[in-house]
Amino acid sequence: MKPSAPNLPMRQRLRQGRDRLATALITAGGIGVIAAVMGIAVFLVVEVMPLFWPAQSPGVGLETLWLPQDLAGLEAPAYRWQPTLGDDGGPLFSLTPLAWGTLEAAAWSLVIAVPLALGAAAHSALFMPRRLRARLRPTLELMEALPGVVIGFVAGLVLAPWLERHLGLALALLLLLPPGLLLAGGLWRQLPARLQQRLPLGWAALWLMPWLVMTWLLAHWLGPRLESLWFGGDLRSWLEITLGLDYANRNAVIVGMAMGFAVVPSIYALAEDALSGVPRSLAEGAQALGATRWQTLWRVMLPAASPGVLSAVMIGAGRAVGETMIVLMASGNTALMTANPLDGLRSLAASIAIELPEAAPGGTHYRLLLLAALLLFAFTFLVNTLAEVVRTRLRRRYRRLGGPS
Amino acid sequence: MTRVHRSPFWAALLILAVLFAGPAAAKHRSGTLDTVGSDTMAGLMLRWGERLARQHPGMRVQLQASGSASAPPALTAGTTLLGPMSRPMTEAEHQAFVDRYGYPPREVVVARDALVVVVHRHNPLPSLSRPQLDAIFSETYRCGAAGGIVRWASLGLERPAGRIVLHGRNAVSGTHGLFRREALCGGRFRPSVSEHPGSAAVVAAVAEDPQAIGYAGLNHLTPSVRPVPLRDAEGVRRAPVPAAVRRGDYPLARDLRLYVNLPPGESLPAAERAFIELVLSAEGQAIVEELGFVSLPEAVLSRQRRQLGFEPR
Amino acid sequence: MRWWRRESGRARLPRGEGPWAWLSAGSVSLSLLLLALLLGLLVSRGLGHFWSADVALVTLQDGRQLAGRAVREAPLPGGSGRERLYRTGNRDLDGAIWDWVALTAIRDVDYPQELVVLERRRWSEFIGRLVALAPEAGPRLEGEAAWSALEERLLELEARREAIRELREQTILPLVRRLEREGESEATQALAMAEARVAELRASLAGASLVLESVSGKRLIQPLEEVVRARRPNAMTAFDKLVAWGQDVWRFLSEGPRAANTAGGVWPAIFGTILMVMLMSLLVTPFGVLAAVYLNEVAHQGRLTRLVRIGVRNLAGVPSIVYGVFGLGVFVYGIGGRLDSWFFEASLPSPTFGTGGLLWASLTLALLTLPVVIVATEEGLARIPHRQREGALALGATRLEMLTRVVLPMATPAMLTGVILAVARAAGEVAPLMLVGVAKLAPQVPVDGDFPFLHLERKFMHLGYHIFDAAFHGGDVQAAMPLIYATALLLVLVILMLNLTAIFLRHHLRSRHGTLSSY
Repeated sequence: MKPSAPNLPMRQRLRQGRDRLATALITAGGIGVIAAVMGIAVFLVVEVMPLFWPAQSPGVGLETLWLPQDLAGLEAPAYRWQPTLGDDGGPLFSLTPLAWGTLEAAAWSLVIAVPLALGAAAHSALFMPRRLRARLRPTLELMEALPGVVIGFVAGLVLAPWLERHLGLALALLLLLPPGLLLAGGLWRQLPARLQQRLPLGWAALWLMPWLVMTWLLAHWLGPRLESLWFGGDLRSWLEITLGLDYANRNAVIVGMAMGFAVVPSIYALAEDALSGVPRSLAEGAQALGATRWQTLWRVMLPAASPGVLSAVMIGAGRAVGETMIVLMASGNTALMTANPLDGLRSLAASIAIELPEAAPGGTHYRLLLLAALLLFAFTFLVNTLAEVVRTRLRRRYRRLGGPS
Repeated sequence: MTRVHRSPFWAALLILAVLFAGPAAAKHRSGTLDTVGSDTMAGLMLRWGERLARQHPGMRVQLQASGSASAPPALTAGTTLLGPMSRPMTEAEHQAFVDRYGYPPREVVVARDALVVVVHRHNPLPSLSRPQLDAIFSETYRCGAAGGIVRWASLGLERPAGRIVLHGRNAVSGTHGLFRREALCGGRFRPSVSEHPGSAAVVAAVAEDPQAIGYAGLNHLTPSVRPVPLRDAEGVRRAPVPAAVRRGDYPLARDLRLYVNLPPGESLPAAERAFIELVLSAEGQAIVEELGFVSLPEAVLSRQRRQLGFEPR
Repeated sequence: MRWWRRESGRARLPRGEGPWAWLSAGSVSLSLLLLALLLGLLVSRGLGHFWSADVALVTLQDGRQLAGRAVREAPLPGGSGRERLYRTGNRDLDGAIWDWVALTAIRDVDYPQELVVLERRRWSEFIGRLVALAPEAGPRLEGEAAWSALEERLLELEARREAIRELREQTILPLVRRLEREGESEATQALAMAEARVAELRASLAGASLVLESVSGKRLIQPLEEVVRARRPNAMTAFDKLVAWGQDVWRFLSEGPRAANTAGGVWPAIFGTILMVMLMSLLVTPFGVLAAVYLNEVAHQGRLTRLVRIGVRNLAGVPSIVYGVFGLGVFVYGIGGRLDSWFFEASLPSPTFGTGGLLWASLTLALLTLPVVIVATEEGLARIPHRQREGALALGATRLEMLTRVVLPMATPAMLTGVILAVARAAGEVAPLMLVGVAKLAPQVPVDGDFPFLHLERKFMHLGYHIFDAAFHGGDVQAAMPLIYATALLLVLVILMLNLTAIFLRHHLRSRHGTLSSY
């Protein structure tokens, strides 16, 4: 059909009208979607508010939630989370042990994850050939995609019983790993040049694996001997008698190991980005002045990239704080306030997951669990915002130093 | 923010099977029937439903196994006529039902269950009295113990050495509530009791640790753990064997019940009747045994059948 | 030092990097090793579960005999040797399906060919000897004849069971639903006929029975009707076992769970997981793209927009359980409750949408993954050079035309990346689902031949929740372990598959649109 002259302005107007309509729709839709997402915070705040009107929920106030309480049968004031206690005194709601457990679990997972992830990031930014690095990333992304429920299952039902029986082996492994790696480095230096070129440092990540397996075998042999030599054959009772540490077979360290494993990839990805984003000229300058690559990293790249690395760790912490299934399945869910890493713990997220479906909507218990959710929300949101701000600063700094955008 | 109040819906269980008092009643019972209640009894309800569906292929059951606490509201609201519960109704729940209908719900005892205290299979612990149990698990010692028991040595055992590691159910479960009421005399659990989301998890955790003790439902026992006999007030040891539970000798026993919305003087709708008839029959009780619960004595069964009008008085 | 090395002809070698380089290399290998260990564990245990391992006949020092499969070993307390766990089955005879045996108490282990393993509908499996097959009529068959007759009869039984199942699902249940809707009609008659047919088929199943004997000498009369499968693992060749393995894997994938989730398959959970993820991506894609287009193309790029952008980005880091809480409070109790009181008053007080279900779960997960899609799409939009937009506008296109013809096609790979990331995250999420609609057991998948075909209000099963449920709520964790491993492996594979599809799709689109963006 041929457009006739008088139709043109008509079509033009139609097109413009459509455009205006679409723009309005996009605006409305966009604002609506963003409002819905932001609505989470509003919802939580609105639902939690009644808790703090004394008439609504008697016996709940800031001091009962956060400070130790005097309880029948106990000499000293204590923290207790017992939401279904009936009869006398009513339920006990103390959020402190839950918040403590959450932070403890996150702290231990960072203790495990940060060295692993930062070491891996440094190694891949410094030494790895491009080809290997391009493969490593998706592999670690696969690790990130592993669902929490699978990691939690393995940690709670496989790792925890195994560790309970092989404490000596675990200790031996912990003692042997770093010297084992250094020994590998030392031996490598002694190798003839041809072999050294066959096994370049850049590919060490791969060829060290058999070495690690050998270390593990050695630890397997050494573990029980170590246990009987130093600890009278039973590390667990030695810990208890000598150091006064209880050993719960699902404990903070196991949660830390499982959750550390889960957050390694996200810390690695961000830290590696920060390190490889450091302007090339800086590193090259340092190396030209005779610094080794490791010295370059330590003295030049790390100071330049430290905000990025810090934000990577913060993002990891945010993830560890909110992780639910791993803690639920691997922690024993004991609302304790101890600094003993071999004792159980209970996190806010796990409490929400098991107790919220059973809590009567509108009741004190329900609102308290919502308060727990609000705390998690606020904490992760703040940490992430902080990390974001830091990263923006970093990007600006790199631009100033003349790096890639 | 408005909300509709309703029963919790944790882990709802929808299964094929059973019941509907259809127009073509007697022969072709068909349709869907919802039951809402205990998750302890979910397996039982499911198997009974399957069995009934074999007799009447057009039946379907939708079972919401959210926990005992979800049954009374559903019964009172009229959502369901059958509410399986692993504990008796509380006064308030009972009253709510009476207020709504003017008559009390009919209670049918369908099986017996017991809580067992379990230790690792190589733990030689001979038996426990209630005060000892209380001293191990609670921090309030209401059952008369002088103080807490935290080490195996305090129970006179040489092996296992060290501390007693405690395992139990999560706070919202009926098992937790029953144990607290019966074994702790209503006291408070120690905070160091690991709270597992299911009885099976308690048994699995105790099976892995020679120093552990825990409590779980009788039907979760495996050879990896050893049930500890309990001493009653006279000091007689009561092992959690089916015979003792059936006689009512074992201290931590409980009845599993079906609550039925049945106006006095009326008889049950055909579908519910068929279901309860099956449950109280030898075939239904065989399923109870198969799932590891304890079946009812014949006298109790026939008394209930008479009361419901299945048998001439 | 360094100068000396250069002079001595080793200058081309990498210089020594000190201890830290080795520790950092070690941390990469350690991470990879742990990942490999975890995957290896899942693969070996998950797939090994379906292998029909040999059945040992164990003779103890005291003369007692037991037959079973060795599961694992553990040290005895006090360092006095080890003990072994056998899965012996026969719960109706022995009261338990496990037996712990101290290694020192074992006199002899043998693998006799005639041991049979019967998978039954009740009382778990039977392990022992087949004495005889007693058909409904005719003489008893004994010995080898009994075994071959049993194999034949089981095939026949399988066919009849299939016929009953089909009759029930294709004829009876639709009729029942029609009856429920319309009341008395000609459906009653048809139903009566179908039920009679089922009863007839059922009757033909009953009758025959097996005479079995456990190795400890206990006899058992087993109705044939309750036997699902019979095998003699010790008499099977490796090839037979491989075929049996394939069959078992297929049954695991295609059947519903049995025995309170400790046996049978996971088909409803696979279906539920994938359906929920698909629904979620259908919901999240348009909304995510809409919000991203608004933020990047329409909104005034001021301070407020920047703040909103940071806010959205940070929501990606909010724990999933918080979204679950929001879904429960707003979708289920809030919107669902309202919907019920407006549209489903007839069925109140039993909730229709006012309880967790497929729709609410998908919506909650869509909300959870919305930031991911928004961020990815925005990045894609931001990467499109401004001259593209200006060119389109200069040629007289309106903004809408510029968006739909130029900008969005170029941003498609980025959008897809976002959706894929969203899918990968959503498929593994379990915690929020526990609050908004996952079910322990729902063998009816939410799609069927009944209007409106897709039942958004139904609860559904999920692979991840299935793992949690079997590991904590089931009857016996030890018995469920192999199944949990298999389910975990499957979940990881599903997620892997979703990820790979996404990567492939992205690559494909990029190569198609690559030509476009190079202009």
